[in-house]
Amino acid sequence: MKRKGLGFYLRIYRKILIQDIKSKMSYRADFIISTIGMIFTNIAGFVSFWILFRNFPSINGWNYYEMLFLYGFSLISLTPVQCFFDNNWSLRTYVYSGDFIKYCFRPINLFFYYQSEVFDIKGLGQLAFGVGTLIYSWNKIGLAVTPLMLLKVILFLITASLVMIALQNAAAATCFWIQNSFYVLDLVLKFKDYAKYPITIFSPVFRFIFTFIMPVAFIAYYPSLVILRPDAVPILSWLSPFIGCLFFWLSYKFWMYSAMKYSGTGS
Amino acid sequence: MENMIELRNVSKEFKVLNRREGLKGSIKDLFSRDYKIVRAVDNISMNIKQGEIIGYLGPNGAGKSTTIKMMTGVLEPTSGEILVGGNIPYKNRTKNAQEIGVVFGQRSQLWWALPLIESFKLLKDIYQISNSDYNSMLALYQSLVDIEPLLHKPVRQMSLGQRTLSDILAAFLHNPKIVFLDEPTIGLDVSMKAKIRTLIHALNKEKHTTVILTTHDMGDVDALCQRIVIIDKGKMLYNNDIEHLKGFFGSYRTLKIRIDGELKQQAKVIQEELPDFSVSADEEWISILVDEEKATVMEVLNQLQQSHEIRDMQLEEISTEEVIKKIYEEGVE
Repeated sequence: MKRKGLGFYLRIYRKILIQDIKSKMSYRADFIISTIGMIFTNIAGFVSFWILFRNFPSINGWNYYEMLFLYGFSLISLTPVQCFFDNNWSLRTYVYSGDFIKYCFRPINLFFYYQSEVFDIKGLGQLAFGVGTLIYSWNKIGLAVTPLMLLKVILFLITASLVMIALQNAAAATCFWIQNSFYVLDLVLKFKDYAKYPITIFSPVFRFIFTFIMPVAFIAYYPSLVILRPDAVPILSWLSPFIGCLFFWLSYKFWMYSAMKYSGTGS
Repeated sequence: MENMIELRNVSKEFKVLNRREGLKGSIKDLFSRDYKIVRAVDNISMNIKQGEIIGYLGPNGAGKSTTIKMMTGVLEPTSGEILVGGNIPYKNRTKNAQEIGVVFGQRSQLWWALPLIESFKLLKDIYQISNSDYNSMLALYQSLVDIEPLLHKPVRQMSLGQRTLSDILAAFLHNPKIVFLDEPTIGLDVSMKAKIRTLIHALNKEKHTTVILTTHDMGDVDALCQRIVIIDKGKMLYNNDIEHLKGFFGSYRTLKIRIDGELKQQAKVIQEELPDFSVSADEEWISILVDEEKATVMEVLNQLQQSHEIRDMQLEEISTEEVIKKIYEEGVE
């Protein structure tokens, strides 16, 4: 048996992905409706944001374009969780019905095998929206376009996306321990909405919560500071890539540990 | 022949909360530490050789699934040792998974949206099957069943029978040493059952795959198994050849007779005349289960003829189903 490295997993993921997209596109009406739905969801989100900021030219020293930057940044960093880890939402149903056991018999990583089953194509619209918003605000703020800046923004985007993935993994894995983990997942999802605001607008209590307890501030706010406020970057911003990786690793361990303890229902 | 699977004094215990009734009870349960230990599998030992097809039987809740889960590495035994193909399953779950195939009758493991052939190609990658092995396996499948119409059909559009067939083919694809089949014929029609039995039999012959089959359908057992293991309430009741099983309760045969009158009533009369044997009646026949150690069929027939006019008669060997039913109901002395 050959060793199963990253290349092995990437090759399998690519194959599953191609097949999955092919099969989704074969249900044409379904595909078109969900694409339209996705566009409208994004427009609605943007419009509510725009209405809010038309009335306030700046919030706590953050002007409209900086807010827009933050918004775009959060949309992009929330894309991977939507695209690649959407099967977390079905986890509790599989566990409850006992169907989860079918994932336990393959000679590959359980976490990978489970998550690879679903690719949510709707996330791609969000990505396009986010990239558009980010480029637009980047221009308007007059940020420089240098290789270093691009490298920075890409690195911080990727590591920021790990934070939300970690939160969702951990929330989903609670279903191995409690009957209905939907509320936990839903709670995490609701907190996600606060990611697009600078945390300085919240009271100290919430600032603490968003940084240390439900660390949604690492999804956009802290990493964005590195680009937007290069003169006064707090230490937490520089730490955010490590925090993203650490959280992801911890959530993965928790997910796997919980799944291994799982014994399935009788049949 | 070497042992493919070895179980030595394997037990599995679960901690279960003693639940109380009513809403008040439920609230108390939230803070309760009142657990009881349930032994789902109790001190089971057995050896299974390469190429055997074992029928693993037992009533619902007997501990079959728990044993299968331990052998596949999903559960860790509380005590005892398990070796599957030389591996300790729960310690080397991935390595073990490479050597086994698993089919759960009602839970397809194939990719729901993908056509069967694409699932096969993915499995080829996952199990790292070489091109030549893969192609020869597909050729074998083609010679055994008509898979052409299945190959390009998404699994979700398949009938239950087609899906089960596909799942079995997928389980054998990487030529595993052992295949676990958990109720593979559940819910299938008669012709599909026959097809699946033929397939399992052929694959076992061709590849010398060890097969562990759990089922409630004695047709599966009669068609496939040389040996059966019966467990109930976690304890092993029987572990021997299927031939041996039939003589297990003495030698039983079923005598069926047809006489005039209301059969149900006549059956009661006959039961009184033959207190040693169990008598039952359906629309056409009165059946008498004769234990030939107590009296031969001829003696019983003679006795009956003195008081009844027998219009017709049949003699049946006891079916596996009846023996198993007796074991489930009465246990083994």
